[in-house]
Amino acid sequence: MIFEQLAGNLIQGLVLGAIYGMATMGLSLIFGVLKVVNVGHGAFIMVGAFITLWLFTTFGINPIFAIPFAFIVGMCLGFFFYYSTMKRLIKAPELSTLLATFAIGVLLEEIVKLIFGSEFRGYNWVVGKVSLGVTVLPMAKIYACIGSILIAVLLYLWFKKTRAGTAMRSVVEDDEGARVCGVNVGWIYALSFAIGIGLVVASGVLLTMFIPVGINPYMGGAYTLKAFVIAVLGGLASPYGAFFGGLVFGLIENGSYTLFALLPGVEPFALTRFLSFVILLLILLIRPTGLLRAK
Amino acid sequence: MKKHIAKYYPLVPVFAAYLVMFLIGRNMSGMWQLMGMLAFYCALGQAFNIFLGMTGYVDFGYVAFLGVGTYGMAIGITRFASFEGLGIGIIAIGFLLALAMATLLSLAVGAVALRLRGAYFAIATIGVNEGFRYLIEGARIWNGSEGIIFMADMNQAFGREMASALSTFWADVMVFIIAALAAVVTIYYMRSKIGYALTAIREDEDAAKVMGINVTKYKIIAFITSASFAGLVGASSWAIKTPYVFPPEVFEIHYTIEAIIIVLLGGAGTLLGPVVGGLIYGLSKYWLAVILPGFQLLIFAPLIIIIIVAFPEGVIGLLKARVNGTKYKIIIE
Repeated sequence: MIFEQLAGNLIQGLVLGAIYGMATMGLSLIFGVLKVVNVGHGAFIMVGAFITLWLFTTFGINPIFAIPFAFIVGMCLGFFFYYSTMKRLIKAPELSTLLATFAIGVLLEEIVKLIFGSEFRGYNWVVGKVSLGVTVLPMAKIYACIGSILIAVLLYLWFKKTRAGTAMRSVVEDDEGARVCGVNVGWIYALSFAIGIGLVVASGVLLTMFIPVGINPYMGGAYTLKAFVIAVLGGLASPYGAFFGGLVFGLIENGSYTLFALLPGVEPFALTRFLSFVILLLILLIRPTGLLRAK
Repeated sequence: MKKHIAKYYPLVPVFAAYLVMFLIGRNMSGMWQLMGMLAFYCALGQAFNIFLGMTGYVDFGYVAFLGVGTYGMAIGITRFASFEGLGIGIIAIGFLLALAMATLLSLAVGAVALRLRGAYFAIATIGVNEGFRYLIEGARIWNGSEGIIFMADMNQAFGREMASALSTFWADVMVFIIAALAAVVTIYYMRSKIGYALTAIREDEDAAKVMGINVTKYKIIAFITSASFAGLVGASSWAIKTPYVFPPEVFEIHYTIEAIIIVLLGGAGTLLGPVVGGLIYGLSKYWLAVILPGFQLLIFAPLIIIIIVAFPEGVIGLLKARVNGTKYKIIIE
C-alpha cells in the first residue's frame, strides 16, 4: 500500500520535477552569463501564470499557445529591465544586483496586484486523464511535462548550433577572453537576460498547467526559494544542470512528503521544505559545482 | 587623552538624533508610537550595518536572528511567569535567552555559511532562514506553527498595569538603548584593529588573507555581534511590544530587505548612515501609508532601483565626501 502510494507520488514528482527544472533554467542562464542572482525570479513566474489565466479566461485560448506568447512578453520584460537597470549594475557589488532584482520582483507584484487584485484565482481546463495504475495524471500535466522537455531540448540545440548560443557559452567561460575574440559581450548580456526572463515567464505557464489554482500576485516567493535549491543542485551556472536538479528535486519533494507523513506528530509539508534547505546547505558546502559536474 | 576622546566624536550626532526622537515622542501627544517605529528601524539598521556595512557580505537570512530573539523572550516569559518574586527580572532572563539563542544560531550559521562567498553566501543564508522556520513548524518545536501567545503570562508575571506599560512604553525605550549600544560598538570596532581588518576584507578578501589577516575570525566577530543585537531588537521590539510570536511572521524575508534598504539608503559601513536611513525609510513608509494606503511598495520598488543605480554610497556616503577637509569632518562618520 505504502509502496504504491510512494510510486504514485514519485511519478507525480518526476512530472513536476521536469517543470521545476525548466522553471530554473532561466535563473541559471542569467547567473551563468551575468553572475547575477535573480531574487525576483518568482515574480516572473507569477507574470507567466497571470498571462495564462488572462488568455484562458478572457479569450479561451489554450494554455499551450500561451507558452510562446509568455516567452515573448518575458523577453520584452528582460530587455527592458536589462537596459533600464541591470546594465548599470554588472560591475557593481553583489548587494546592488541582489537588491535591484528583488525590487524588480516587488514592482511586478504590485503592478499585477493593481490590475488583477490580490485574491486567489484559478481556471479549469479539462482535457482528460491518463491512469497509470498507481496514480492518475491529468493530460494537462503531461502536456506541461512534454512542453518542459521540448523547451529544454530547444535551448540545448540553440546553445550548440547557433552563433549567439556559442558566444553565450564563451562569455560563461571567460568574458574577457570572449571580448578579445570579438564577441559583443554587452549584447550577449542583454540577450541572455532577456532569454532567461523569457524562459522563466514561459515556465509560469507550464506551472499553472500543472497547478491551475492558487494564482495570486504573491505566489512567486515559494518558487524563488525552490529555484535556488534546484539551481544549486545543478551547479548554479548551468541551465542543463538546473533541469536535472529539477527532476531530482521533484522526486525528493514528493518522496519525502510521503515518508514524513508516516511520522506521528509532525507537519510533513513543513518538514519537506526543511529537508530541501538542508540539501541546499549540504550541496553548497560539499559540492558547490553541483551534482553533475566534477570540477 | 583629548585625542583619545576625539575619536568618538562621530557618536555625537547619532546620540543627538536618538535624544531628539525620544523627546519628541515623550512630549508631543500621539508621537510615541511613530518614534518607537523609527527607533526600531534605526536599531535594525544599526545592528545590520555591523555585518553588512563593514564586511560587504549580504545576509539574506538576517531576520532569523530577530526571530530567535523573539522566541528567546517569549520562552523566558512563559517559563518563568509563575515564579513569584522574580518580577522584572523575568525580562532580564528573557534578554539573556534571546542573546544566547541569537549568538548560538549565528555561531552555527557563521561557521557554515561564512566559508561561502558572494551569491553563494546570500543563497545559503536564505536557506538557513527558511530552513529554520520550517524546522520549527514541521517538528512542532516551541508549539510549531501555532506560535506562542503570552499576553496572559505577562499579566500574571507583572500585573496588568505594568504589562501594559512594558509593551506600550518600555519596549520602545529598550529599543532606543539597544540602538545606541549598537552605535557605540560600531564606532569601537571602526577605531580598533577589527575595523581595519574588516575594511581590508570588504575591499579585497584574497589580498587581506595574503597580508596575514585571519579573515574567518573577523568575519565571524562581525557576524555574531550583528546577530546578537538583532536578537535583542527582536526580544524588545517584537516580543515585549506585541506579546505573541508566529513563525511565518518572525522569519518574514521582507524585514531583511527593509534592513538592507535602510543601510544602503543611509550609507553602508558608516556610523550615522543607519540612523539617517532608518529615519528616511520609516518616515516615508509612515507618510505613504497615510497618503496612499496600499501603494507603498509600488512607490518604494522603483525608488530602491533608482537609489542603487544612482546613489550607491547612500546619504552619509555623499555627505562624507562633501565635508572632507572641513571642520565638520570629525563628527561625520
